[in-house]
Amino acid sequence: MSGAGDSGRQGSPREETPRLEQRPLSVLERRLTLSDMLDTSTFAELVKSFAELYKLGVKVFDEKGNRLADIKSGNGDFCGYVFSFTEGKRCCTQTVARVKDGPLATTQNARAPHAPAATKVHGMIAVPCFTGLRYLVLPILWEGDVLGRVVFGPFVPEELGELPPSLTDLTPGIDLAQAGAYLAKIRRAPESTIVKVLLHFAQLLETLVAAGQKTFLTSQVHIEATLESNRDLEAQNRRLEQMNVQLKDMDRLKSSFLATVSHELRTPLTSIIGYSEMLSEGLVGTLNSEQTDYVRTIMEKGDTLLKLISSILDVTQIEAGKVRLTFEPVNVGDLVSSAVSSIKPQAQRKGLTLDLKLPARAVEVRADREKVRQVMVNLLSNAVKFTPKGGWVQVLVTEVKFQPELDAEGWQFVVQDSGVGIPSDQLEKIFQSFYQVDNSSTREFGGAGLGLAIVKSYVEGHGGKVRVQSELGQGSRFEVVLPVSPPPPRAVIAPPLSEPPPPPPARF
Amino acid sequence: MQLNHAQRELTVKVVYYGPGLSGKTTNLQMIHARTASEGRGKLLTVETHDDRTLFFDLLPVFFHTKGGYTVKVKLFTVPGQVIHNATRRVVLQNADAVAFIADSRRSAGQENNQYWENLKANMRENGLNAAQVPIVIQFNKRDLPDSKTDAELEETRARGKEPVIGAVAIRGEGVLETLYAVIQLAYRKMDEQAGLSRNIGLSEAEFLKLVFARMDLDGTQVSSWLASGGGPG
Repeated sequence: MSGAGDSGRQGSPREETPRLEQRPLSVLERRLTLSDMLDTSTFAELVKSFAELYKLGVKVFDEKGNRLADIKSGNGDFCGYVFSFTEGKRCCTQTVARVKDGPLATTQNARAPHAPAATKVHGMIAVPCFTGLRYLVLPILWEGDVLGRVVFGPFVPEELGELPPSLTDLTPGIDLAQAGAYLAKIRRAPESTIVKVLLHFAQLLETLVAAGQKTFLTSQVHIEATLESNRDLEAQNRRLEQMNVQLKDMDRLKSSFLATVSHELRTPLTSIIGYSEMLSEGLVGTLNSEQTDYVRTIMEKGDTLLKLISSILDVTQIEAGKVRLTFEPVNVGDLVSSAVSSIKPQAQRKGLTLDLKLPARAVEVRADREKVRQVMVNLLSNAVKFTPKGGWVQVLVTEVKFQPELDAEGWQFVVQDSGVGIPSDQLEKIFQSFYQVDNSSTREFGGAGLGLAIVKSYVEGHGGKVRVQSELGQGSRFEVVLPVSPPPPRAVIAPPLSEPPPPPPARF
Repeated sequence: MQLNHAQRELTVKVVYYGPGLSGKTTNLQMIHARTASEGRGKLLTVETHDDRTLFFDLLPVFFHTKGGYTVKVKLFTVPGQVIHNATRRVVLQNADAVAFIADSRRSAGQENNQYWENLKANMRENGLNAAQVPIVIQFNKRDLPDSKTDAELEETRARGKEPVIGAVAIRGEGVLETLYAVIQLAYRKMDEQAGLSRNIGLSEAEFLKLVFARMDLDGTQVSSWLASGGGPG
């Protein structure tokens, strides 16, 4: 009982610390980038087909200047030719940098685009190239943020006649006929037309980003919610584990209490029985017949009580994990006969037919003789107890043969009766300690409900199985299957139904 | 609240919380409909086939302050169905203020209470101090039979410190008033924590004015509240 004061040491299972620190920032609080929301490979395909349809170069950059799409159209020869001149190369690099990384404002050579009146241009700028070509640049706006830019061009403005001096002055010796031929490969259109195409492209892009944002956010939130549920379940598991530990502690306390009490009861009881025996044997003077009768009753009841206390001690030993089996060669026939004869007087008193069938060939096995005998006695006394006057009890021992459920050679011990039977919904529970089918205060049959718990523990300690079939009012049949040679005894015999099955071994 | 001085950006998070079918999404739809497109993003909703919110709704409202800061007010709803508690908790993380949308009908009283407790529990789980995160209560569906009376709403108001606003969200009534109340309290909390007026020169009056600058305030009390600097609280 010394552990009684420690039961609260596991701490309150409701204690929980907030879990904020463990969590990364939710996707809902992050600033999303274009590549979060666009499927870049399909987007590049879309841009390509768009560029081919309109015969226009299209480039898309994110806010850091990373290229998401870059489709050239028609300007390769012309720009390459200009690039081959020293000054042409310098100016070209400058223009490209202005378009790609320059401010999205009408500064540094950029101006507002030529758009039809009342057209909203959403921050678009036009950037002329020194060659006379032109670019249009549109910021990609999303929820008030600039997520990147779209660049259209270069295209040849409709009004461009001859190549301008800004080109010819910088590229001495340029072959104008050749340059003109290259220029003809580039899309020529009024700027306002390209503005319209670009605005249309922006609409497409916005639709794609909206759909992409939805998919991205929902899938991410779904993951976060799943992780959150997982955390919940883990917290619940921890609580349950703590409770389980507490319950086990309490269970141990109960067993320890029972063991102590049983022991304390047995000591005076032995004296009661001993002195009654001395009285009945006339050691302290002759008793009259009535006195002898009374003293015998005291002895009988004392004996019953002693058996009960012994069962309780057995169970507490099992629960405390203190039972060890010792296997030795055993002749099953002898063991069964001895168990049956010990129960015979009770059976005769109730007028029951007790029938024993042994196999023709002797069954020699390895087992713990005392424990197997107790299994037999417990099952037999149950059968006798629950079978009304005039009924029958049959005991059957099978020959040794392969037992599929043990996956080994084994034998069976069967006790069948014509007794009251067990309701089908209780068949699972009857092997629990202290379980009684009828636990009312007015029940007909006595006992502590420990016999079958002991049976199950001892049988399983042998690596065997016990099972029951029963029909209410028709009788019961208990079958014990035991291996011929049991596995080496485990350190302890576990109490029935108290431990969860071990997890399956990890496969990877 | 996320205050990024380098990018000069302030992000505010407001969460619409409450039982299933109390009208959280309807509130956002009404705000979306009354706001000019330049001042807001698209309304993102993910619904099941029977119009129940599956993950959340999101409506961003944004503007620029005189002090050169970009302010984004992100309005979220949580999914109301019981099974989505984990999602509710994810959406609720780091909320600056909460609009609790309750159903006015007497029959919904028990559910309102359950979700109120659920809100408090999820705040605790998220490490949010329920005493520090302002909450505004909207009693929605005032037009339905079996609704609580105005006197009963007064009783609810008297029982706590949260502002209580009646609404018929489906007709837009009380929606902007609720937004005003929750935004106002959010500002005051953020100002206390981060000194918005001192550090980024954003006053309560300017903040509220800019939130509602692109909204159609016709027929609401918001215009007069903006003019007087008052509110329901």
